[in-house]
Amino acid sequence: MNLTLPRFFWSEYRKRRKKAALITFALFWGTLSILLLMAFGRGMNTQFRVAFSGLGETLIMVYGGQTSLPFEGLPKGRPISLYPEDIDYLQDRIPEIRLIAPESYSYLAVSAGGKEINRTVHGTTSEFGVMRTQVPQLGGRFLNADDAEGRKVAFIGWKVASDLFGGDDAVGRTIVINRIPFTVVGVLQKKIQDSMYQGPDAEQVYLPFHAYRQIDNRRRINQIHIMPHDASQSPLIEARVKALLGRKYRFDPDDRYATSFWNTIEDAKEGMAIFKGIEIFLGLIGGLTLLIGAVGVTNLMYAVAKERTKEIGIKLAIGARRRTIVGQFFLETVFVFAKGTFWGFVTAFNIVHLIRLAPINYDSFGIEAYLLRPEFSFQITVTYLAVLGVLCFLAGIFPALRASRANPIESLRYE
Amino acid sequence: MIELDGITKVYKTGSQSLEALRGITLTIGKGEFVSVMGPSGSGKSTLMNIVGCLDTPTAGGYRLDGDKVAGLTFDELAAVRNRKIGFVFQNFNLLPYATAWENVELPMLFDGKNGKKRRERVTELLNAVGLYDWREHRPTELSGGQQQRIALARALANDPPILLADEPTGNLDSKSGEEIMALLTDLWRGGRTIVMVTHNDHIAACSGRTIRLFDGQVVS
Repeated sequence: MNLTLPRFFWSEYRKRRKKAALITFALFWGTLSILLLMAFGRGMNTQFRVAFSGLGETLIMVYGGQTSLPFEGLPKGRPISLYPEDIDYLQDRIPEIRLIAPESYSYLAVSAGGKEINRTVHGTTSEFGVMRTQVPQLGGRFLNADDAEGRKVAFIGWKVASDLFGGDDAVGRTIVINRIPFTVVGVLQKKIQDSMYQGPDAEQVYLPFHAYRQIDNRRRINQIHIMPHDASQSPLIEARVKALLGRKYRFDPDDRYATSFWNTIEDAKEGMAIFKGIEIFLGLIGGLTLLIGAVGVTNLMYAVAKERTKEIGIKLAIGARRRTIVGQFFLETVFVFAKGTFWGFVTAFNIVHLIRLAPINYDSFGIEAYLLRPEFSFQITVTYLAVLGVLCFLAGIFPALRASRANPIESLRYE
Repeated sequence: MIELDGITKVYKTGSQSLEALRGITLTIGKGEFVSVMGPSGSGKSTLMNIVGCLDTPTAGGYRLDGDKVAGLTFDELAAVRNRKIGFVFQNFNLLPYATAWENVELPMLFDGKNGKKRRERVTELLNAVGLYDWREHRPTELSGGQQQRIALARALANDPPILLADEPTGNLDSKSGEEIMALLTDLWRGGRTIVMVTHNDHIAACSGRTIRLFDGQVVS
């Protein structure tokens, strides 16, 4: 390819680039706005997922209740409670269950080193840690299978750790609940969490289920946590749990109040749909902004072509072919687009990374957790470049074609 | 070199039509220096545009350097203008943002000549018009006479056999005008075919033959 003419066009463009500054700025601004909109949209979507997984991503929680329908001669209004043996009962009968764990809790005084605080103390098993995203900080662990034998150990939230031990390492230290000492084996890693019961996990204390029973001797449990093998099986699992518990505790499986479910899988679907909708909406706003920008660039390029009528006439008179004129105008549009877009990309990239440096306050989870984590994705970049490429072509080709169709005689007379 | 046979040019504006050239038959031989004179509206510019392949006739035949010009496409005509014809305009028509060097180089860029050839030719031409030292200046930094000399150098860039000059001294003071005429005369003596439009009898006297137009026809 003969690069002489493109080099010449580049040199001509450089001489006039100040005149193109407005167009370049428009593209810079458009690119910056669109990329930021899309990055914030994507970031909010991701943060929602992260925040939601703070509770547990594929989790079904089962609670007891009170019957609202008479069943097999039994009156309505009977309380239905869940018991530890329900865990094996359900797991043995529902193969779709991957993990299952019991949970009981009470609000109790927790003390250490002369400090005393009141927190919800939970009794559960090691499976709970996986299901409820209980990721320990470095050097610690969640409750494990060996702890089930009755070990006096505890896994605590990071706020509990800081409330009781200040900045000191809590692992290996002792906390006392109901005069029973428990050794801290792990502290929860900081996380954002938008869904909770009994408060955020940061403020909870978790004990092995059997050890917990020593400080709370109620036989019934508060709830059961279930993680399916496949998220799509959650409605089936719900139905089977209702049927099995209904058979065991003698209530109508269709009784909405005998048991209740908190299905995070279904909640997540709704949440994801909302945030995906927001992301698409922001993308659409971005796309429309870009379209308006491209129309502006086309207009400006038409104006540039008009302003340069005489120059086109001179070039045609001394032997420029039509394709030369088309090529020059088109390449100039590409130069302008490339420059504005490049700087828009660089600026957006830096802004996004600067914003991501801002710390999130895990202790008072708020809107900033969604806004302070914008992110670029390969998909955003490729989509943007593809749309931009098409717009650049359309914005460049029409003014270029019009310029090339100029009549050399009339163009030479143009003042 | 230039053979016009019954050239007619009619401009149509709505239902009106204006006959700018009426069956002009004319031959200009190789190496001739011909001036074209006539009052305003006589068809001088239209004739020059057709001879310069900037416009096409409504009727009639035109052979340039032995080749038929009628029926060529826009880009084929551009190639003819690029290689066979050099233009010198009354108002110079230089690119304002380009340097003297770049203005002279432009026709060679359109012809696809390589960098070495271009550099040699631009150096030669700028030296010939005495403006090599002004090569980095833009047209606005040059006097009218200097601009016209740059325009002349540009017209000669691809070494065309024909030079068309449309009132080349019309916008110049008498001294600069004389310098341009001296350069044109030298080119003529060097064997170049020159066709020049002028209103000035004194300038026309420099040429070898004068063609007078009136109402779109050759009268003498």
